[in-house]
Parts: sequence; structure tokens; C-alpha cells
Amino acid sequence: MSNLMLVLIVLGLGAVGFVLGRSRAMSVAGGDRRKLHSLPVYYAAHVGLNTIVPALLLLFGWMIVQPMIINSSVSGMIPASAIEEGGNLSLLMSDVRRVAEGLDIAVTQGAMTVSEATNLSADADNVRDKLAAVGVALGSDVTTDTLHAAQRYRAMAATGNLWKSIVAIGAALIGMAVALRLTAVAFRARNVVERGILMVLIAAASIAVLTTLGIVLSLIFNTVEFFQLYPASDFFFSLSWNPSFSGRGGGSELGILPLLWGTLYISFIALLVAVPIGLFAAIYLSEYASNPVRSFAKPLLELLAGIPTIVYGLFALLTVGPMLVSVFGDNGALGVGWMQGGTAVMTAGLVMGIMLIPFVSSLSDDIINAVPQSMRDGSLGLGATHSETVRQVILPAALPGIVGAILLAASRAIGETMIVVLGAGAAARLSMNPFDAMTTVTAKIVSQLTGDSDFASPEALVAFALGITLFVITLGLNVIALFIVRKYREQYE
Amino acid sequence: MEDMIQMDRAMSTEQDIKISANGVQVYYGENHAIKDVNVEIQDKMVTAFIGPSGCGKSTFLRCINRMNDTIDICRVEGDIRIDGEDIYDARVDPVQLRAKVGMVFQKPNPFPKSIYDNVAYGPKIHGLARNKAELDEIVEKALRRGAIWDEVKDRLHAPGTGLSGGQQQRLCIARAVATEPEVLLMDEPCSALDPIATAQVEELIDELRQNYSVVIVTHSMQQAARVSQRTAFFHLGNLVEFGDTDKIFTNPEDPRTESYISGRIG
Amino acid sequence: MTDATQGGPIRTKGKSILELDTRTKKRNAAEARFKGYGIAAICVSLFFLVSLLVTIVSNGVPAFTQTFVNLSVTLDEAKLDKNGNRNIDEIKKVSTFGYKPLINAALVSATDGIETELTDKDLDKILSASAGAVVRDHVIANPDMIGETVEFRLLTSSRVDGYMKGRVVREDLARDKNLDAAHLDLIDVMAERGAVQRTFNWDFIFGSDASESRPEQAGIGVSMLGSFFMMLVVLALALPIGVAASIYLEEFAPQNRFTDLIEVNISNLAAVPSIVFGILGLAVFIQFAHLPQSAPIVGGLTLTLMTLPTIVISTRASLKAVPPSIRDAALGVGASKMQAVFHHVLPLAMPGILTGTIIGLAQALGETAPLLLIGMVGYIATNYPEGVTSGFLDPNSAMPAQIYEWAKRADPAFYERAWGGIIVLLLFLLTMNLIAIILRRRFERRW
Repeated sequence: MSNLMLVLIVLGLGAVGFVLGRSRAMSVAGGDRRKLHSLPVYYAAHVGLNTIVPALLLLFGWMIVQPMIINSSVSGMIPASAIEEGGNLSLLMSDVRRVAEGLDIAVTQGAMTVSEATNLSADADNVRDKLAAVGVALGSDVTTDTLHAAQRYRAMAATGNLWKSIVAIGAALIGMAVALRLTAVAFRARNVVERGILMVLIAAASIAVLTTLGIVLSLIFNTVEFFQLYPASDFFFSLSWNPSFSGRGGGSELGILPLLWGTLYISFIALLVAVPIGLFAAIYLSEYASNPVRSFAKPLLELLAGIPTIVYGLFALLTVGPMLVSVFGDNGALGVGWMQGGTAVMTAGLVMGIMLIPFVSSLSDDIINAVPQSMRDGSLGLGATHSETVRQVILPAALPGIVGAILLAASRAIGETMIVVLGAGAAARLSMNPFDAMTTVTAKIVSQLTGDSDFASPEALVAFALGITLFVITLGLNVIALFIVRKYREQYE
Repeated sequence: MEDMIQMDRAMSTEQDIKISANGVQVYYGENHAIKDVNVEIQDKMVTAFIGPSGCGKSTFLRCINRMNDTIDICRVEGDIRIDGEDIYDARVDPVQLRAKVGMVFQKPNPFPKSIYDNVAYGPKIHGLARNKAELDEIVEKALRRGAIWDEVKDRLHAPGTGLSGGQQQRLCIARAVATEPEVLLMDEPCSALDPIATAQVEELIDELRQNYSVVIVTHSMQQAARVSQRTAFFHLGNLVEFGDTDKIFTNPEDPRTESYISGRIG
Repeated sequence: MTDATQGGPIRTKGKSILELDTRTKKRNAAEARFKGYGIAAICVSLFFLVSLLVTIVSNGVPAFTQTFVNLSVTLDEAKLDKNGNRNIDEIKKVSTFGYKPLINAALVSATDGIETELTDKDLDKILSASAGAVVRDHVIANPDMIGETVEFRLLTSSRVDGYMKGRVVREDLARDKNLDAAHLDLIDVMAERGAVQRTFNWDFIFGSDASESRPEQAGIGVSMLGSFFMMLVVLALALPIGVAASIYLEEFAPQNRFTDLIEVNISNLAAVPSIVFGILGLAVFIQFAHLPQSAPIVGGLTLTLMTLPTIVISTRASLKAVPPSIRDAALGVGASKMQAVFHHVLPLAMPGILTGTIIGLAQALGETAPLLLIGMVGYIATNYPEGVTSGFLDPNSAMPAQIYEWAKRADPAFYERAWGGIIVLLLFLLTMNLIAIILRRRFERRW
């Protein structure tokens, strides 16, 4: 029975339980709902929830545990010699799964009978061709070991699935029975149901923690694996990034420093553009602009923030890059010849700066507005001009908040992907020239992980080490920034 | 004692008009907040504006140094003259005007800077000191005039926000005094202070009278009686009665003033 | 100010306020400069915005039109159905290559009387490589038409299309082996005769992606569906989970370490780079849970995790905006806390929650980086999903991923598609944001 079917059956039982619960409650109360402790709907919900929740939890637990047990039991069947031959265990296991799936498909399509599938032998029948006939393409011929493992896999999965159905439906029925038995006039159904709902709410809130945990664990596991294949000291201190694309391992130089340099250089240029423009825009909008100007310019600025980064990426690649080349390139307007191609630190930095303007300006705007009016009055009352008030009273007062905003913007810039993937270039380079193409941590995560579904080589795993570096840097910046901003807010609350 | 004598002499010799307002109207958008106010404020004297809240007394005060300019929807008509010069004249720069007419606000609002920098801020922006030594001198003098020197002289570089409420307000007064204004406007300067701090500030206001023309807005009639020589009673945007404090409190002419004084309205 | 330094209590009258002193003049100049910087900053930002929009529109609008050739093709029975029995299986045996001579013949007759140095064989370079397939599909659908002459509307090649749109000029063709200047002369004449036309291209909006050599055929329709299925996943998961989490945190959570942990987590997750969510999706959903690569469901799950903090933050803000007096009133008549929240607070907060959700969805719709890692780029979305399940589980692309894919391709004709795709994407985002604004305007309540 498929999982979807099971879920539907359990939900159906839940609906039945809901109806039964309601009628049971009404019957124990003798038809007078005022005698019940809670509204009848709570008794109904109580039965319904008791039917559905334990059964579904069991089902999901089973779905996670069953493949693990089968995997470990089946992988024990594969002899060590086959592992050496086939490269590694996980590759072999995926072969086993594919063969098992193929057999399943063959049976459902009627290309094989059940007994044929279980008694297939690798030597006598050409399994690869048979499976190809039903649309399952295999990379290599099926060995006896693999076939046996696959058949074992099927057998265990079939037993497991049968038990899964029995357990899930049984749990639903037991839950319903227990809940119906509990239904009585004095039973506090509402309190129980509300406690259940609260549990659901807590579970939903915990997803944030689980997400963080998922990020950290997936990064750490793969990074540890990477460092077993590639020395950590080389990763952190090597000055060159030069992954080999042919073959597995060997000859790759995977130093993070050139990537970090590119990342920081681009972010620096982006902030150089975004901070002055964003800050002055925020000052003008919050201190000088008349209402019509503000209500016109502010949404327009925020429009810049709502544009997806892929658009900025394209803008960098196809518009800003060629434009910069026509000014700073070999035959450019200035005739300086600093720039060789459209993708460069400057291109990506400039466009990223544009993207960050509304980010800086709206954060600074909030912060400047949080400075109490009495500060402005105090300064203006002393005969200061508006700009003196801004520069000497408001900005110093808002400084911590603005620093926080800039740190948040920096963290954005460091983590930005699409603009640098399209606009910065692919060559890892330690250069001072802002018109050179360089690459960043995020761009390399993308290039190392796309188009490769196998995570065994250091060239792919390095992406996780890059990811964890990126995560730590941005997290650190965020924590500091949020701390500063919060402290600042408290000061004026 | 010597101060008192000087003060008396000042009062007797310089009973001249410092500020004169004629037919002042103030609008906040559609709302007519001040209706045809005429008032003459004398130099070297404390003038109190009293009245129920929302009567326009603070609004009128803010007209005198054009602080209302900072509010977009506010419109002022009529004329207000300081030493005979119309402050709403097109040639007047409010910045220069405010250097001459200082202001102290309801809530103590020291800048988030050191005590020294708070006081030095005005002299610095107006360029009153040629060098550091002169600036030090101005700061000390202002703090002495603010009657807070003794309390802060050992911690001039501590943040001004760390002082107590009463100290903060005296710091703000010192800050206003440091720019050498001729008129000091005070908008309910004691409303956020406890009674002891209030007493200290009131005492200070009395001392300031010898150097400045002081205008104080207060919602406390007792305070007006204690610190002022002249009192103006505002009601619903009208100036109802203006005269010597003693007379207003003992023998008011207008029935509304009388009702307010005796606590029947307000 | 001289008397100030003397410290005397009695001063002479100050200087007149009617004259500006030099210092004030200088200060006012500084004031004007400062204000000027502010105006300049606004102008520069608006300039960037305008040039961005102008670039998008001017480069993207041509993608919505396409050049077609109207061609009367004689469906020669001898070539298509040798036995003359109209057996569909036999007709299917003729490959698209077999249709080439027919199309060529049609071109020769269409260009009859035009002076050209081109050989008859070279003529079909003005057509898209898809022309054969179009004719073949028509024949297979209507086998009775064999032997007749049928009017076809065939795509021109992307070079010809580019020429008609002004993107390609004759000088560009010097090193181009696909087209010669002579072809363009031909096109000029054909356009005069009305045989070559540029019309609105619905296929760009509803069509599927095409292989790298046929930019003229590529459309964004299939990846639009991919995005749609992803957004369904995001909506179905992020809204209930986000609202439940916010209700717990805002209404029920006690002040303890666990609550603090969740709060810190949410505010930090909101600022984690999107690419990191891509890594998470790759590791958890594909590497660990073995969900299919490039499938909208994986994209949806990944984007759900990314959008969740945004939705939680805005939902909490709208819950917070409901005044405590409402809760007190409900509790006062004997409702339980849960009833107070679900019956009174939540309905009042709903417009705000929906606004936040729509904005979160819009953000997710435009997000590209995580999709790169879970394989939604590099997959060429040429087929529509067969049904709802296949829509969720079969490999597909998504709008931003499709745009990225086009931007990476070598042929500049794809750039036009990419810009056009951006227009479509931005129209979606604009609509979503407008709905959010209208919702907010309509239902916003001030307490």
C-alpha cells in the first residue's frame, strides 16, 4: 500500500472518529449538551486527533527507520571485494536500489511475474536489458551480488510495508477506541484538545531550531568528510584555488583565501556604493523631504529592494559589465585598458551596491527616526542649522544603529550569490585591480555543486567547507549587528 | 546680596520692552491655535504663560524663536518683534535668531555626549570661542550660571545622560545659556522633575532674571506665582489677561482668569 | 560677545538679527551643500532604478514578438507516403529530415523572382531548425492533407529574427556560418511582400524551453508551471507552520531559554544567505531523504524553510498589533486562552498575516541561488508535466532558474529571452505586491 494511500486511510478514520466522538458525547449526555464539560465539537476533535496523530507519527517514524534498517542489513550482504571493485559502498547501494526499483516497475508493468522477479539470476538472464525494456536504465551490468542484494531489498521492503500498514491502521483504530472510551460527561475534552493544539504550535515553532540544526549538521558532516580527504591547513591557508575537473581527487588546490579576498573586495566596493548613497538618502528622506516627496521616493527606493537578485545579475552581466569595459577597457573611452572582460570585481560590486542601497537606507531611516524629536529640538533651539543637528547630534546618537545596519548590509553582500555568479567572473585571483575578474565563496559553492550529484570527491565536498565558512561569517556579523541594534533601541525606549 | 542690588538696579534702569507681539495668529493646518495675541515682554524679568493644557501657551512660546518653522503644517501670521526687529522678516535667519533666543524644553534632553560637549556644542557651532582655553572658560561660566558647576566639575567628560533628571535640566539650561542668548524661553521646564529638583531649577530661574529676559510656560499656577513678575493667562488660543503676577493672582479682571485661578476650570 | 568674556552681568544690546553675519552665511552654505548631498543620493538611486527598468524593458520587450515566414508547403505524396495508403505508422517513419526538401521547394517558390546569389539549398537557413518538425506534426495530425498545398506559419531562425528586431546587423554576419548578408537581402524583399512578419509571440509566454541551438523556439511556460508548483508547496507549508509558530511565540510562549533559543534562531535564519538554504536542501532533501533532483517539491521545501522566518516575523508583528483589550474582553466572558486567540485575535490579525505571506511568497518566487544547488538549473524544461503528481515530482525548471539558464547560454539571442523572462517574473512580483498593498489598504485597522 502506498504511503499516500495510508495517510488518506488514516485521515478517513480520523473523520469517522470525529463523527463518532460527537455522537458518543451527545449520547453520554443524554442529548443535552449543557451537561457536558466542553462543547461537543471538542469531544469530536479529541477522538479525531487521537485517531490521526499517533498513527501518522508512527507512520512517519517508520518511513524514516525502515530504509535505514534495510540499508544496513542489505549492505552487509555485499562482500568487501565488491566494495573495492565498485569504488565505494554508497555507489553500490544506489545500484542496488535502482535494480530493486526496476524490478518493482517491471512487475507493476507486467513485464515480469512476481516469481520471475524473485528468482531472476544474474548469469542466466540479462537483467540490464530486461530492466531497460521497462525504462530503467542501468549504468553497468548487474552482478550476482547486486541482484541478490536487490532481491533481498525487495523482500524486506515488502514485509516492512505490510507491517507498516498494519501498524498505522491499528494505531489509528486503537487511538479511536481509547478516545471514545474516555468520552464521558465530566471528561475535560477542551483542555485535552487545547493541550494537543499547543503541542502542535510548539512543534511548528521548533522548526526554526530544526532548520538551524539541519544547516549546521549537514554542513559539519560533509565538511568533516572533506577534511578527511583534503588537509584543513591547505584549505584555510593555501593561496591558490585550482580544482582539477578531470578524475577524482589529486592535483586539486582548494585554498579559500583567494575566494575570501574576492568576496571581501566585492563586498567592500558594494558598501562603498551603498553606504554613502543609502545613508544620505535616508537622512534626506527622514529629515528634509516634504511629505509628497517622501511618499513618492520611498516606495521607489523600496522597489529596488523587491527586485530579485537574478535581475541584478543579468544587469551586471549584460549591461554594466559591457558599459564599464567601454569606459575602462582596452579601447575604452578613457583609453586606460584596465579592464579585460565585462565580468569584474567592479561590475559585481557596483551592481551589488545598487541592490544594497534600499537595504541601508530603510534600516538607517528606521534608526534615524528612532532618535527622539527632543534631540532635534534641543539642537535647533540652540540655533544649530539642520545639517549641524544631523551631523553632530543625530548621527552620533544613531551611530551604533547605523553601524549595525552596515554590518547587516555587509553580511548580505558576503552571502549574495547571483550577482557574483553572473557578474564577477570565474577565476580565483589575488589581485588588487578592481577591474580584474575574481570569484567569491558563494560563486564557487555554486560551481562546485551544480551538475554533480555525487558528493564523494573533495572537489564537491569543498563546497560544504566553503558553506560553513560563509555561514559562520554571516552569522557572526548578524549576531553582532542585531546585538548592537537591539542595545541601541533599548537606549531610546 | 550684591546680585540682588544689581538686579534691582537693572530692573529700575532697563524697564524696556524686549519682545512685542502684535496680532499673532497661528494655524496648524485647519486648526486655529492662536487667535490674535498681543503681548509685550520686558527685559530682565520673568514672564509666565499659564493656562489649561492645549490653550496655545507652548505654541506661542515656540513662535518667539521660530521653532514652529520645523513643523510643516504650522503657519504664523502677525508680527513679533525683538528689540524692534520683526523676527518673521524674510531677511531673518532662524539660526541667528535662535542663538539670540535660547530655549529649554519640557523634558530634559541632553545630547548623548559628555557634559562638556553638551555645553560646548552651542558655542562651537556659533563660533564663540577662538581657542580651547576660551571654550573651557565659556563652558565653566555657563555651568556656573546653570548652578550645576559644583556637581559636575569633576566629571565633565562623563556622559550628560548619566545625570539625574534635575541635573539634566540644569545642564540643558547651562547649555542654552552658553550661547549668550538675550532671551530664554522655557517650556514647562519642571514638569518632568521631582519637587526638590523643581525647587533648584526655580531658584536658578530667579537668578537668571538678572541677565536675561525669561519667558516660562507652566501649568502650575503656584510656580508662576513663585518665579514670575508678569503673568499671561491663555485660554483656548486667546490671551485672556496679561499683567503683574501679583495682580493676576489676587485680583484678576477677567472672569475666566478668576475661574482658572480658583480651580473651577482647567 | 566681548562682554561675555568680561563676565559682566549687564550686556549691551546684541547685534541685529536682520543682517546675516559671515559665519551664518558660511553655515547656511554648508547646510545647502549637505541637503544637496541628500538630494543627489536620492537622484542617483532613482537614476539606477530607472536605468535598470529601462534596460529590462528595452531588452526584454522584443522577446514577446517573433518573426514568422508564411510558406505554402506542398505535401508531396511521393515523399511522405510512398505506398499511398495513409497508414499513420508508415507516415511516422519519415523523419523531420525527410520534410526538408518539401520546405526547401516551398522556399524556392516563395522567393521566386528575387535576385540572390544563394543556392536553393542554402535558402532554408532563414528558417528555424524546428520548421521540419512543425510540418511533420501537422501531417501526422492530419494525414488526409498529404498531396495538398498547405499554408504554414514557420519560425525564422534567431539570426533573421534578430535582424528584424535590429539586434543583428550585416556586419555581425561576417564571421557567422549560419547566415549570410545575402539572406538578409532576401528577407528584406520577403518582408516587403508580406511573407515575413513579426507578430506577438504567445509561445514565449506559454511555450517550453528549447535546445541551445534554437533560441527562437524557447519559451518560459513550462518553468512558470515549475514555479507555480513550488509556490503551492511553499504556501501549503510555510503559511500554516509560520502562523502556528508565531501564535505560540507571541501568545503562549513562556519567558524561558527555549523560547529565547527559538527567537534568536528565527532572527538569525532571516539573515542567513539563501545559498546556505540551497546547501541545506541539497544535503537534507536530496542526499539524505532521496527526493528526486530538480523536482519542484524539493525547491518548494527549500524555499519554505527560507521563507518561514519572513512569515513568522510579519505574522508576529500583526498579532502584536491587536490590542490586549481584545484578549481581555474574550477572556472576560469566559473563553479559554486558546479560544480567545483563535476566535478573536487571529481573525483580526489575518489581513496582516496574508500581506506578510504574499510578500514572503514574492521573495521566494524570485529566489534563484538555492535552486542552482538542487539541480533546477541545467535541466532543460522542454515538456509540460503530465499531471499534478508529476508537476510536483518530475524534474522541472523555475522562472528565475530558467532566466539564469538563458543568461548562461552562448547565443546572444537567448539574452533577449532572459530579459523577456525577467519582465514576466517582475509582472508576477508586481501583481503579488499590489495584492498585498490592496489587502493592507483595505483591511488595515488602526487601534
